[in-house]
Amino acid sequence: MSDAFITETELDGAEDGVLAGKTIAIKDNISTEGVRTTCGSAMLEDYVPPYDATVVERVHEAGATIVGKANMDEFGMGTTTETSFVGPTDNPAAPGHVPGGSSGGSAAAVAAGDADLALGSDTGGSIRCPAAFCGVVGIKPTYGLVSRYGLIAYANSLEQIGPLAPTVSEAASLLDVIAGPDDRDATTRADPGEGSYADAADGSVDGMTIGVPTQLVEGADKGVREAFESAIESLEAQGATTTEVDLPSVEQAVEAYYVIAMSEASSNLARYDGVRYGHKSDADGNWNESFAQTRSEGFGEEVKRRILLGTYALSAGYHDKYYAKAQQARDWIKQDFDRVLAEVDVLASPTMPVPPFELGESLDDPLALYLADANTVPVNLADLPAISVPAGETDGLPVGLQLVGPAFGERTIISAASALE
Amino acid sequence: MTAQTVQQGELVTVIGLEVHVQLETETKIFCGCSTGDADEPNEHVCPVCLGLPGALPVVNEAAVEAAVKIGKAIDAEIPQETRFHRKNYYYPDLPKNFQITQYDEPICQSGELEVRVEGERRPIEIERAHLEEDPGSLQHVGGGGGIDSAEYTLIDYNRAGTPLMEIVTAPDFRSPAEVRAFLAELEEVLEYLGVFDAERDGSLRVDANLSIVEAAEADENGELSTEALESANRTEVKNISSHKGAEKALAYEETRQKNAIQRGRVVEQETRHWDESRGITVSMRSKAEEKDYRYFEEADIPPLQVAHWREEIEIPELPRARRERFREEYALDEEAASKLTSTKQVADFYEDLASEFDPDLAATWVADELLGELNYRDMAITELEDRLDEVARLVELVATDEITAKNAKEIVLRTMLDEGAAPDAIVEAEGLGKTDEGEVQAAVEAAIADNPDAVADYAEGDDGAINFLVGQVMQATGGSADPGTVNQLLRAELDD
Repeated sequence: MSDAFITETELDGAEDGVLAGKTIAIKDNISTEGVRTTCGSAMLEDYVPPYDATVVERVHEAGATIVGKANMDEFGMGTTTETSFVGPTDNPAAPGHVPGGSSGGSAAAVAAGDADLALGSDTGGSIRCPAAFCGVVGIKPTYGLVSRYGLIAYANSLEQIGPLAPTVSEAASLLDVIAGPDDRDATTRADPGEGSYADAADGSVDGMTIGVPTQLVEGADKGVREAFESAIESLEAQGATTTEVDLPSVEQAVEAYYVIAMSEASSNLARYDGVRYGHKSDADGNWNESFAQTRSEGFGEEVKRRILLGTYALSAGYHDKYYAKAQQARDWIKQDFDRVLAEVDVLASPTMPVPPFELGESLDDPLALYLADANTVPVNLADLPAISVPAGETDGLPVGLQLVGPAFGERTIISAASALE
Repeated sequence: MTAQTVQQGELVTVIGLEVHVQLETETKIFCGCSTGDADEPNEHVCPVCLGLPGALPVVNEAAVEAAVKIGKAIDAEIPQETRFHRKNYYYPDLPKNFQITQYDEPICQSGELEVRVEGERRPIEIERAHLEEDPGSLQHVGGGGGIDSAEYTLIDYNRAGTPLMEIVTAPDFRSPAEVRAFLAELEEVLEYLGVFDAERDGSLRVDANLSIVEAAEADENGELSTEALESANRTEVKNISSHKGAEKALAYEETRQKNAIQRGRVVEQETRHWDESRGITVSMRSKAEEKDYRYFEEADIPPLQVAHWREEIEIPELPRARRERFREEYALDEEAASKLTSTKQVADFYEDLASEFDPDLAATWVADELLGELNYRDMAITELEDRLDEVARLVELVATDEITAKNAKEIVLRTMLDEGAAPDAIVEAEGLGKTDEGEVQAAVEAAIADNPDAVADYAEGDDGAINFLVGQVMQATGGSADPGTVNQLLRAELDD
């Protein structure tokens, strides 16, 4: 069995449809009726949802066959897929290295050919990071484009489900299938644009203005930067104009992101108390002791760290200092992106400032890992769409290029990204 | 603040309320599950109201509409935009271990409801009213019966997600009796709006804050300053579920606090539980143990734009306005108008009758006869919902002189209520159809002929003799003659 999957499945979709004959991997935080959905956590090791997520219904109707529930960092909290309760997934594009995270299993399944396509989720880079590390394409849609109904929440104001695929056009086709309003998710909105996303993958970047935020390039690893710069040169050669832009707000993005994400997580993960589903401690005790013991046994270290920090950030006396301040930073980041995206068509940067870590290398330094999210988290804070597309290698390790567009600018970033293939 | 004169040296009772009312909607506030009665525990549940991973809340517009109606009825401000927050705490009746509620942008702000106590009308300020979801219900089995001491606890999530409106008043009450009057008025208004079912178990739950303030703190107008109100230690009394219960619980708490103060003891700032069966309040937790709910915005529900709803949603005429109109339009006294507007159904029924028959007759029949007989049987008019046309037919029989008022009430109405029969069938079976005029006239003449003594007494001015003769005629006609008519006919004969 491929180590990309927590659970292998064979769930056939409709006989005809745009994805007929295609196999797909589903990240294990997306609910599948009758198939256990663990979120990479011992807490949900035996949890079998009684319903399908909206995106699962949509890929079924489009004819795809679900071949597995993909490995992930526990509850999406990680950048390496190493915090999963089943252990890590190797990177098929760079064996011995992590596949990135948290949707590492989804990216690895596509890179290894275990599935034609995959669905991941992206709260602060969890689709784009593994896409970059495994040398595949990943799209984080505009907040509200894809229904989150059935997506097990980590930080609900930030996350979106999105596609991973070997090519831009395949990823765009999958986005066509899953996008669109859903009565069961009140935050979904109709894309005002016209035409399919797949048709936007036309390889054309001619006449486009690409902004390069200095803040998102200068901190990157030298080899990553070289690969990024040669990709930019290729886009220029195809008729794009590039210009440096200033995005000062992103300096605060990592801090703001972690305060908001952890705060939301502390609330979203409160429901795992062993009463209705999921792990339940055998220890004796009253209600307080019992649920505390259940949570202490069921959650891994990184999850506990984020719940505790998030609880702290929302507490009386700290709420204004941390949570409220992070929301202000978020507003500033949104305005900053709106401002530069009024001047350029898309923004480009390395997806990750570093190449894939070796397996086990980064486990003991959470802060270093959080900083690796510097280029991806601002996009979630701004609710914008972004794509990661392969942009060469450094020392044999994949490098990804990130393109960010305005709200519902998926067609523009898809078009520009396809010019790099 | 309300103006109420207080005497120096006196202790003044200050009470504020948080009233939770279940809104009567077909489905729950954030999912499509029924809010109706269930045969089994955990029957009306789905991934959303069970808080299953990945399920998302979607606001039921009917609940928002009900909230806007309440807002209009209490003259509240309904903002341009309202939003939901999460209130975080762990309790097994709460499927997500947070409650979706409203925090700093509630749907109704600064309203008012007038109460009438001992003939005096006073406005009670309503600081806010907001929407939230009801938790499930717990049943503690064995052991000490509480969550920490029971052998085990059963959870039923049928109730989880039922829409609730929490109505928060200013500390404007000065007596438990005022609280009771307010709750009765509030319930009447909610029923008029059609958003509340008082009959449903647990549909009204009250938390009350009570403190005792030295009257010396009052200013020359007898008003208490905010500082005076805040400096007094108060207790929050929980688990009140009826008007009567509220009055009893608060009277107990008022006495307990006054006794403490008079004995020089400090009233602890704490939460207390009303034990209905023992008739006392008991300490639950001190203020220091108050939870930090870590409120923050519920991002799964975008802010609702509600300002235009205020214009679009109409509410019916409310009890107070209708009472006043009834007094004027139908020339009713205060008591009759009050009885006839006690519920919307009663008032609607009365107006139907008053449009067809004499409003006075209709008032007597609804306010006295019908409500009296129902009250005697401990029945509500709602139980007669499908048979109001039968009651109307009975009034018609009286109005058109087909049966006597006495028979209509004492035989037909009572038989209708006790046996479920229709009025015409009862009239037929009991032979109550009014005798024709010739027959009554014959009986009158016969009574005069057969009772010369009574006739003589009458002639001598004994007016009581006429009653004897009326009785004779009634007996002869089997009670089907109208006593008033008989009286007139007798006098006509005798006075000739």
